[in-house]
Amino acid sequence: MEATLSPQSLGKPGLASDLRAFWAIVNREWTIFKRYPSWIIALLIWPLIFPMMYILTARALSGVDGSGMTVFTQTTGATNYIGYIVIGTTVWMWQNIVLWDVGFALRNEQMRGTLESNWLSPTWRFSYLLGHTGPQIITMTTFILITAVEFGLIFGVRLNGNPWLALLIMLASIPAIYGLGFAFASIVITAKEAHTFVFLVRGLVMIFCGITFPVSLLPGWMQSIAEWMPQTYMIHGMRSAAFANASFADLLPDLKALLLFGAFWLTLGYLLFNWMERRARQTGAIGQY
Amino acid sequence: MEITALSQPTVAAQLRALWIIAKKDWKVFWRYPLNAVSHVFQPIIWVTPVYFMGKAFSTNGQALGFAQYSGTGDYMSYVLLGTALSNFILTVFWGMGFALKEDMDAGVLESNWLTPVSRLHILVGRTLTSLLTTTITSLIMLAVSALLFGFRPTGNVVAAILTAIPMLIGLYGFGFAFAGIVLLMREANTLVDVSSFLVQGFSGANFPVKSLPYWLIPVSLMLPLTYGFDAVRGFLLKTSTLFPLNVEVTILIVFMFVMLWFGAWIFNRIERKVRTLGTLGQH
Repeated sequence: MEATLSPQSLGKPGLASDLRAFWAIVNREWTIFKRYPSWIIALLIWPLIFPMMYILTARALSGVDGSGMTVFTQTTGATNYIGYIVIGTTVWMWQNIVLWDVGFALRNEQMRGTLESNWLSPTWRFSYLLGHTGPQIITMTTFILITAVEFGLIFGVRLNGNPWLALLIMLASIPAIYGLGFAFASIVITAKEAHTFVFLVRGLVMIFCGITFPVSLLPGWMQSIAEWMPQTYMIHGMRSAAFANASFADLLPDLKALLLFGAFWLTLGYLLFNWMERRARQTGAIGQY
Repeated sequence: MEITALSQPTVAAQLRALWIIAKKDWKVFWRYPLNAVSHVFQPIIWVTPVYFMGKAFSTNGQALGFAQYSGTGDYMSYVLLGTALSNFILTVFWGMGFALKEDMDAGVLESNWLTPVSRLHILVGRTLTSLLTTTITSLIMLAVSALLFGFRPTGNVVAAILTAIPMLIGLYGFGFAFAGIVLLMREANTLVDVSSFLVQGFSGANFPVKSLPYWLIPVSLMLPLTYGFDAVRGFLLKTSTLFPLNVEVTILIVFMFVMLWFGAWIFNRIERKVRTLGTLGQH
């Protein structure tokens, strides 16, 4: 008599267990985050010092008699150069932090040697990335609030527009920013040279999206590239909403572009993750670094 | 009873250790070749927004407002030189503080600490390869930037290099003290990023410190690197300097001796404390 034996996993994954796994990852990330108190310094200092270096450069470029500032106002149409720079640099920092945090989520596990063992657990693997995103959104919201408070109090930056519309632009940007992070996480774990990829992506944002200058100053071919980057629309939309008193109708082109980019990057992020996961199991390379 | 170590390290042994550490870092650096490309292009990426921002402030390609503070309207040469010097500052900060953190994470710090090599030598060794690669990549960066943005040094190159040497040696003192803090805090990224960014910013890496708000100028004048940036630019770009060049060079030489002594003192004290607490291997 021949007996057949079908191997059965001890774990029985379901929606509830996936949610529990997601929550466990959120909890773990939050615990690790709190364990290194220097994040408090980062959260208070970075929103101020990163834009400040560009602001101080702008101050030097404007000259003792402010003649350079007159030229800047004529070129950009911006009367508040501090607010103009703060919005551009904050969007850059947001994308940069997401690339490091979400993009490195799996790579850090790989470096610690825990990725393989996590992969063996009967959980929905995408929850590893989603779990990282939860605490990240909370810290980024705090980060942006701190930026607004610091520049409001120290530099006297005041909004000349509708803060709710600025918030709407930020919300519409979330899918594109985090979708890019998901796609990035999968590429990084396959290619392994993570730092270089972060430098490349954030570098593109820095060069093409007009973080400290209007995109119209770029040569034509660079403007064409800028049109394919969601951060260009985020920066433009937020500047218009916060400082140019733009209406909802004025912001509609930026909102549409951001939502389309969001759908694209989320889909691509998910597909790349699935591809990476299958490839990792086939090649057995998940634990190598 | 007197306990004698089995090994009796000599000067030659210490030098061999430095060589081995540098060789190991060299191997690791080239294991990730994209990093080398990144070292060249990363600084160019950082100065690109400044280039376009400068255009928004310029009339007929001349930043006349900038010239009122610095004595030159060629703001890109000014910024590019600051960027090249900043690369070296980062190398010392990253090279020591971050290397310690890497060793902590990889779990090799304790075993390295058990070797009969001076701990300060271990720290210095971790910067040797970085200094070489930074020199190579910075020269390439300046060459590429010269094509993209224009870089026009018109002054005395030898005097500028000789001025940069005491500044860099003094930075090792900063690096020692900083590595001690990393040992204690067990976290390097934020510390390294924030402090090097602030020190570079307030030393005038990207702009003349004279343009700072009046309440920030004393902070800048207290940083010896301010005189380093200022003097090197004075020699190479013939910009107007804060003080006469010989005064600035003297400040840099004094800074070199004081910082080396002070940094080593801080590091040794913290290192002993960490060994007493038994937290060396924790991260």
